[in-house]
Amino acid sequence: MRTREPLSREAVVGLSLAGAYLLFTAIFWAYPFFWLAKLSVTQWRFFDEPVFTGARNLLTTLQDPQFLQALWNVVRFLAFYLPIAFGGALIVAFGLRHVGRGKGFVALCFLLSNVSSGVALSLVFAKVFSSTGPFNTMLFDNFGVRVPWTNDPTLAMLAIALVVAWKFVGYYGLILYSGLLAIPKEIYDAARLDHAGPWKRLTRITLPMMNPQLMMVLTFAILVSFGLFTEPFIITGGGPADSTATPQMMIYETAFRRLQPSHAAMMSILVALVTYALVQLARRLFERKVVLA
Amino acid sequence: MKAFLAKRSIGGWIATIAIYALALTWLYPFAWMVAASLKPAAQIYNTGLFEGDFTFDNFAFLLETADKLDRPFVGALGISALVTLTVTASVLLTSGFIAFALARMRFPGRKLFGDFLLLQMVIPTSMFILPLFVLIKEMGLLNSLWALILPSMMSGWGIYMMSQSFRTMPEEYFDAARLDRASLWQTVTRIVVPLNKSIIAIVALFTFTGTWDNFLWPLIAISDTDRMPLSVLLATFSKQYGGYAGPVMAGAVLQTLPLVLLFLLFRRHFLQGMSLSLK
Repeated sequence: MRTREPLSREAVVGLSLAGAYLLFTAIFWAYPFFWLAKLSVTQWRFFDEPVFTGARNLLTTLQDPQFLQALWNVVRFLAFYLPIAFGGALIVAFGLRHVGRGKGFVALCFLLSNVSSGVALSLVFAKVFSSTGPFNTMLFDNFGVRVPWTNDPTLAMLAIALVVAWKFVGYYGLILYSGLLAIPKEIYDAARLDHAGPWKRLTRITLPMMNPQLMMVLTFAILVSFGLFTEPFIITGGGPADSTATPQMMIYETAFRRLQPSHAAMMSILVALVTYALVQLARRLFERKVVLA
Repeated sequence: MKAFLAKRSIGGWIATIAIYALALTWLYPFAWMVAASLKPAAQIYNTGLFEGDFTFDNFAFLLETADKLDRPFVGALGISALVTLTVTASVLLTSGFIAFALARMRFPGRKLFGDFLLLQMVIPTSMFILPLFVLIKEMGLLNSLWALILPSMMSGWGIYMMSQSFRTMPEEYFDAARLDRASLWQTVTRIVVPLNKSIIAIVALFTFTGTWDNFLWPLIAISDTDRMPLSVLLATFSKQYGGYAGPVMAGAVLQTLPLVLLFLLFRRHFLQGMSLSLK
C-alpha cells in the first residue's frame, strides 16, 4: 500500500476553515437536532429526567384538536394568501416591465415592506385594522360600513393574509419579473403571425414559460405560511377562538406556556413533514419542464 | 425620448399612472406609522394623514417615562444595536473566508461540504427553536446577550451565497495573487471583497434585518425587561399598555428606521444582488 501524500498547505487551510463551520454546526444544529428527536419520544417537563414513552407523543399530537385546527388554519390562510400574492406579484412583474424608466423607483416602493420590520409593521397594522382605525374610517366615509376585522374568524384570517401579502408581493413580483425578461421575443412575434390574442398569449406562452419562477413563488409562499408567527401573534393573538392560531404559535404555547416540550417537539417534526409533503405535492401537480426548441 | 413618448397609447399612460399610484399606496402604512408617532393620542384616529398638532412627545414618553414603567427603551436600543452589529460582523467575516475556501481552495471533502450546506438550508430553522432553547439552557446562557449572539455567529446561507458569487471570478486574479505570494488574508480582503461587493451587501443586509427584527427567539430566550432587544420590548409594551398608541408607534418608527436607512443606502447593490440570487 502506498503511503498517503501529506496534505498541501492549501488543503490544510481549506479543511480548517470548513472545520470551523462544522464545529459550529455540530453545537448549534446537530445537537439540537438530536434533542428534538429525543424529546419527541420521551416525556419531559424541562426539569425532570426524560422518560421514554415511545409513540405516545405522536398519538396525543395527532388527536390534539388545537394542533389540527392550527394546521387547518394554514390551509385557510393559503386560500386567501395565494390568490392575493400571485395576483399582486403578477401586477408588479408586468408593471415593472411596463414602466421601463421608473423601474428602480417602483421596485423600491414594493420592496421596502419586505426588508423593513415585521414586528413594527404588525403593530401598525393592528391599529390600521382596529374598529376605529384608518382602514375602517375610509370604508365608513366612502361606503358607510365598518368591518369588524379582528372579531370575525374569516375576516381576521383575511386581514393576516393581506398583511403578509403586502410584505411579500414586491419580492415575489421581482422573481416573476426575472422570468418575464427571460422569455425570447421571437415567440411572441410568431404568436402574432398566428393571430393569437393577448389572452391567448398570456395563458399559452407567458405563464407556461414562467413556470420555474411561479413554482419558486409557490414554494416560498408555502414555506412562509407554515412559518407564520409574528403577524398573527401581534395582530390577532391567534383569536378569535384560535381561528388565526398558526402551528408556530401552537408550538410556542405548548412548549413555553403549557410547559409540554415533548408534545411541542413532536409538533415541530410533524409541521416540518407536512410542509415538505405540501411542497412536493405542489411540484408534482404544477411543475413543468420549460424547453426552448 | 420621442420614441419613448410615441410608444405609449392612452391605455399605456393610464397603466403607468396606476402602477405608480399602487407603488405609492404600498408606502401608506409607513406614512401612517410616522404620522401617528408624531401626533397626540387624541388625534391619532380622527385626523387626516397630514393634519394634527405634530410633536415629539411620544418619543420623549417612550425614551424617558416608559423607563419608570419598567420598560427601558434606551437600553433596548443599545442591546439591539450591540447584538445586531456583532452578529452581522461575525457572519460577514466567517462567511467570507469559509466561502472562499469552498469556492476556490482544493481540499478533500469540499464537494460534500457544499452539499451539506444545501441540505441544511432545506430544513426549516423554525424546527430548531425549541431544542435550541434546551441547549442554551444547558449552557446556562438563558436571559443573557450570549443567547442572542452565539447561535447566529455563522450562517450556512451566507457561506453558500458568497461562494456562488466567488466561483464566477476569473482564475487569473488568483494566479497573480499566488505569484505575489499574497497571504490568505490579503487575497480575501484585497481581491475577493472589492470584486463581490453586491453579494456581500446582500448578506450583510439580510443578516442585519433578520437579527434586528428577530422576534420569536428573543421572546423565548430573554425574560428580563432590561435585557430585551427593542423588537420584544416593544411587543410586550404594546400588549400591556395598548392604550398608548402614540408611544407604540414611536417605538415602531425606531424599530423600522435603521432597516429602511440601510435598504436605501444599499439599494443599488440590493437590486443587483437580487437578480444575481434569482438566477
